[in-house]
Amino acid sequence: MMIMIRAIIRPEKADAVLAALMDAGFPAVTRYSVAGRGKQRGIKIGEITYDEIPKTMLISVIKAEDKEYVINTIMNTARTGTKGAFGDGKIFISDVECAYTISSGIKEGAAEVAA
Amino acid sequence: MKEVIAIVRMNMMNQTKKALTEAGVDAFFAHEANGRGKGFINPQVLAGAEDGFEEAASLLGEKGKLYPKRLITIVVEDDFVDTVVASIISVNKTGKPGDGKIFILPIGDAVRVRTGESGMKSIS
Repeated sequence: MMIMIRAIIRPEKADAVLAALMDAGFPAVTRYSVAGRGKQRGIKIGEITYDEIPKTMLISVIKAEDKEYVINTIMNTARTGTKGAFGDGKIFISDVECAYTISSGIKEGAAEVAA
Repeated sequence: MKEVIAIVRMNMMNQTKKALTEAGVDAFFAHEANGRGKGFINPQVLAGAEDGFEEAASLLGEKGKLYPKRLITIVVEDDFVDTVVASIISVNKTGKPGDGKIFILPIGDAVRVRTGESGMKSIS
C-alpha cells in the first residue's frame, strides 16, 4: 500500500525540507506554490489583514510503512524554532491505490492491493 | 470514482490534452509544478564526467534539482481509469527517466457547483 503526503509549508522552509527528504532517502517530490489561510483567518499586521498567505505545497508518494518517518522528517524541518508557530503548515495523508511510471509503464501497488 | 494525478513533461502538455480528448475525458485540471524523481543521472553527463570533463563532474554534484513539470488532475469513473492511464502513457512515454508518474487515488464524492448534483452525475 502506498500513501500520498501533501504538505503545505512555509515557502522559506521548502528548500530545507527538500534537502532533509533527500538525506532521509525520499528523493521523489513535487512542489508548487499555493496561497491560503488557516484557522487563524490569515494574518493581521497593523491595520491590514492578509487572508491569503503564500505557501508551498509538497507532494510525495511513499510506502505506508515509511509514513511516520517521513512525517516526522517534514515536521521537524518545517517547524519554526523548537515550539513551532502559527502558519507552519499542515500535512495531509491520502491512500494511493496504484502508481505508474510513464517511462517504463511499470505499475506499482497493484499486488499489495490484491493481497 | 477515482482521482488520477499525472505528472508529465511540460512540452508534452498539448499532446496529452489531445489524447485525453480523444479518450473521452473533457474535464481536467492542470497546474504548473516542479519536481524531482529518484535522481536518475543523465547518461551523457555521466560519460562526460568519466572522461574527465570538469563541467560534467560539477553537474553530477547538483543533487535534488527540481525540474518544471505539469500536474494534471482528472476525476473519472472506476471503469474508465485504465483507459485514461493507457492514453496518458501512450503519448508521454519516451522511455527516458523524467517522463513522469501517474497516481490513482480513491475519491469519496464529487459535487457539481452549478447544479448541486453529486456522485456519478457530477462527473459524467
